Amino acid sequence: MKDPHDIIIRPWITEKSMAMKEEKKYTFVVHPNANKTEIKNAVEAVFGVKVEKVNTINMRGKKKRMGLHEGKRPDWKKAIVTLKKDSKPIEFFESL
Amino acid sequence: MKVNVEKIENNVATLKIEVGADEFEKALDQAYRKNVKRFNIPGFRRGKAPRKLIEMHYGPEVFYEDAAEIVLSEAYKKGVEENNLEPVDHPHFDIDQIEKGKGVVATAKVAVKPEVDLGEYKGLEVEKMVYNVTEEDVDKELKALQDKNARLISVERPAQKGDIVIVDLEGFVDGEPLKDGKVQNYPLELGSKILVEDLEEQITGMEVGETREVKVTYPADHPNKELAGKEVSFNVTLKEVKEKELPAIDDEFAKDVSEFDTLEELKQDIKNKLEERAKSFAESSLRGSILKKLTEQAKVDIPQAMIDREIERLIMDFAFQLKMRGMDLRQYLEASQLSPEEFKAKFQDRAYNNVKTSLVLEAVAKAENIEVSEEELDAELSKYAESAQKSLAEYKKGLKEENLAHIKDRILTRKIFDFLQSHARVTEKVVERIAENEGEGEEEQA
Repeated sequence: MKDPHDIIIRPWITEKSMAMKEEKKYTFVVHPNANKTEIKNAVEAVFGVKVEKVNTINMRGKKKRMGLHEGKRPDWKKAIVTLKKDSKPIEFFESL
Repeated sequence: MKVNVEKIENNVATLKIEVGADEFEKALDQAYRKNVKRFNIPGFRRGKAPRKLIEMHYGPEVFYEDAAEIVLSEAYKKGVEENNLEPVDHPHFDIDQIEKGKGVVATAKVAVKPEVDLGEYKGLEVEKMVYNVTEEDVDKELKALQDKNARLISVERPAQKGDIVIVDLEGFVDGEPLKDGKVQNYPLELGSKILVEDLEEQITGMEVGETREVKVTYPADHPNKELAGKEVSFNVTLKEVKEKELPAIDDEFAKDVSEFDTLEELKQDIKNKLEERAKSFAESSLRGSILKKLTEQAKVDIPQAMIDREIERLIMDFAFQLKMRGMDLRQYLEASQLSPEEFKAKFQDRAYNNVKTSLVLEAVAKAENIEVSEEELDAELSKYAESAQKSLAEYKKGLKEENLAHIKDRILTRKIFDFLQSHARVTEKVVERIAENEGEGEEEQA
């Protein structure tokens, strides 16, 4: 099994994601190749919480150009993890 | 929150301020709310970022400055109240320790109202200028009244000194007509010295209808520089001669010019008025003398901050007066070629005196427990109310807080002077005439 810390890359902290904390939904940037089950297991292992479900979104990297040369930022995957009602919250987010 | 006065030295009070962690936390929160709009954090619109995130991004010190200001000013206010300090300047804070979760330790320094060493303020040797009204003064007033009520009658005779003549004038210098040198139907009192004396003299003796060329040499010190020292010739046409007819001073005259029926009464009234003037002059000279002696002997170490503030006030006053005359301060400075510093320096002495005067008077009031009671205030107010034809309550309602304070101040000042006067050794000095400016300025605020 992959190391859960390779699957969960970092938290995705925005105004919107902070607001979703109220609904026990926590947002992360995850490895693009990770599937929902892997993400669920990784979150449960790292934070010691119970996951209800995982929604994922493939985010396209933005196109950037320097003059003539067009480039592209890497694609990435965003995961919105919903915790079970009886689960404790993720501590890291609570400190924000 | 703990505030202690450590010491007071040279009119500077040092306050030790300790603020607990909780209170500081509250202040930090206030500071956060005040400043959120300034911080930009990716993922958040301006003003929406949570406080923790901002502190993570910018370090926990970002809010210290504002939070410190909030807690310190609050603590300072408390300290001033609890210790009955009378600060005259803005405080200066030195922060010794400031940390989230620990609180703030700081010292505040502020200039306070200085102690006044009054010296021996009872039994001051003061002078009172006394002027005795004489019969001559009354006669002089009467004459002026007579002159004011003189009638003009046209007469058929050559012009004499004291006559009012109606003339057309046209002036020439070296054959050239003068600018603005032509006037018609100009009423001229011969002997009034409004125009060049020489000219008036030469008109004397002219007949009505006569035209004469009159040569006049303007004196070298004539205010009109273009004409000073030059010979000017005037074409003068005399149109009319009027004689002043002075009314006879008798009961009839008294009836005409005043509400009195007899000359005797009018005279008495004039005398009363003159005496009143002499009396108020004596009073104000006495007050001035007291004030001068008192401030001279009093020793007080006035903080510069107080003087600066008074200077500011004087300048504001001055600017206000300028405004009434349609000027502003900058224009004035340009016109008088003063730098702002020089201009300020001009007020230094006056400001010093004003501050000293008010401090000294205050000190006297304190030393003698002179206070203005509500009854006294009401008594004074009802006087004003009466002249405004309102009831006392009505009049009081129309007054603002500061007006009331001002009136109170005035009563207090008067009481202080009454006290000093009754304890002073007054010598009377008879003076020849009433100098208007003597003894002014004693109405300054206490």
